[in-house]
Amino acid sequence: MAIVNLQNVTYKYPLTQTAVLQNINLQVNEGEFVAVIGPNGAGKSTLCYAIAGFVPHFFKGEMSGTVEVAGVESAKSSLSEWVLNVGLAFQNPFNQISGAKYTVFEELAFGLENIGVPRDEMPERVERAMRLTGISALADRSPYSLSGGQQQRVALASILVMQPKVLVLDEPTSQMDPIGTREVFGVIRTLAENGMTVILVEHKVEWIAEFAGRVIALHDGQILMEGKPAEVLTSDALAEKGFGISRYTSTARAARTAGLWKKANLPVTLDEAAEGFAK
Amino acid sequence: MRERLSYYIKRDSALHRLNPLTKIILTLGILLVSLISPGYWTAHALLIFAIVPLSFLGRIWREFFSSAIRLIIPAAGFIFLMQAFFQPLGETVIFKFWVLDVTQESLAFAFRISTRITVMISAFTLFLLTTHPSELMSDLTRRGLPGQFAYVIISSLQILPQMQSKARTIISAQRSRGLDTESTFLCRVGSIVPLVGPLVFGSLVEVEERAIAIEARGFTSTHVKTSLHEIADTKFDKTLRWVLLALVILSLVWKIWQL
Repeated sequence: MAIVNLQNVTYKYPLTQTAVLQNINLQVNEGEFVAVIGPNGAGKSTLCYAIAGFVPHFFKGEMSGTVEVAGVESAKSSLSEWVLNVGLAFQNPFNQISGAKYTVFEELAFGLENIGVPRDEMPERVERAMRLTGISALADRSPYSLSGGQQQRVALASILVMQPKVLVLDEPTSQMDPIGTREVFGVIRTLAENGMTVILVEHKVEWIAEFAGRVIALHDGQILMEGKPAEVLTSDALAEKGFGISRYTSTARAARTAGLWKKANLPVTLDEAAEGFAK
Repeated sequence: MRERLSYYIKRDSALHRLNPLTKIILTLGILLVSLISPGYWTAHALLIFAIVPLSFLGRIWREFFSSAIRLIIPAAGFIFLMQAFFQPLGETVIFKFWVLDVTQESLAFAFRISTRITVMISAFTLFLLTTHPSELMSDLTRRGLPGQFAYVIISSLQILPQMQSKARTIISAQRSRGLDTESTFLCRVGSIVPLVGPLVFGSLVEVEERAIAIEARGFTSTHVKTSLHEIADTKFDKTLRWVLLALVILSLVWKIWQL
């Protein structure tokens, strides 16, 4: 059953002429892992905001169509209720730290305090979120004294502690170094294995190939293509439109032109490329 | 880099364990009594018999004296000199300096004013050293202070040091592009412009992101907020607050009775 359901969503930011999202129809099933790719300005972040309720509640502007999560329409709900359905984490880990708390443990409890969770339930929920993101050892550190990867995991944990039904991640590793990226994807893998519904916007296509069950290619506010990662990420049409593609795909594509790539499908990851070239 | 902009020192003491509101009232109580009370020696007595013993009770006397001295000597010293020289009081001239007379009365007045300043600064220092800012704010929020207000206060304490370090980064970046920040006064003033632009516009973008981030964690939720730490508010706290209020009223009565 679709837990996230977008019907004909069109949206314009205030004081702008063109619609950032045009007639988006998207269904995501419970426990599904969907990746969204697209060039800059394709509307990826806006799509995240729309699912997370910030469009139109926070940004205002004109929206038509409906966004439903678990059968409830976002326009008919309030943002502070909606965040209990959909958790949103985004690029800059530093800006996601509340600044109101002095330790990681307290930082995670901030959301629970806001929604009025009783005090005796807090430690258990905070500890579970810390275990899930592998930050239990950081509980007493100041959130500002952490590395980027650690901060981003704190940001993820602060959302997970709210126990949302759907998790929306807007380029969570774009400001990470390779180590931070690996840490954050490690957490995302754990979440996916635990059956969390995840919608991930990401440029690092090799990671997408590994995790996603489905890839959505967004271009100029429209869904251009949708399907299995192996099909979408290697599509020739996307490469021409300026989508980020894996270097292994472009290498194999060049090799195919030169008659050196014999397989029918192009690779996305290093392993697939190595296997294909070995034949 | 300093991690926080708070003076709080973590110790286990009776003063630390007092409820934050009681500590505010204690600070303000000492302050008001020293200002209102007409007794010449009240401020001095408060300093010796209340503030100094409290610093020992709070087990922070060392930090208290070092930070109090750094703040008090310049402030109280300046006030003392100004009042001693410029207060046109009394006849008993002790000595003359150029056209200024220092009289016994103006000296006594200056001594009293500077002791009051000392009491004021040291009472606040004591308060800041023994009260964790977030504890203070969650206690005040529980008592009805708007959550937004508390958030602004607490987050500025942590975000200001971050902005300072960002300002340093911007200055370094501009200097590596040839900006002169070290020669003449005019050059230094001029170099503020390329600092302020990126800092302010960068911060505006950050504010929006931070608003989204805390909104995503239910900041505007209409539920009654709870708090992770239980902040003790004992019978002793409540009694002490009433006693302090009574002392303030008593000194007011004393003042009116003297008129």
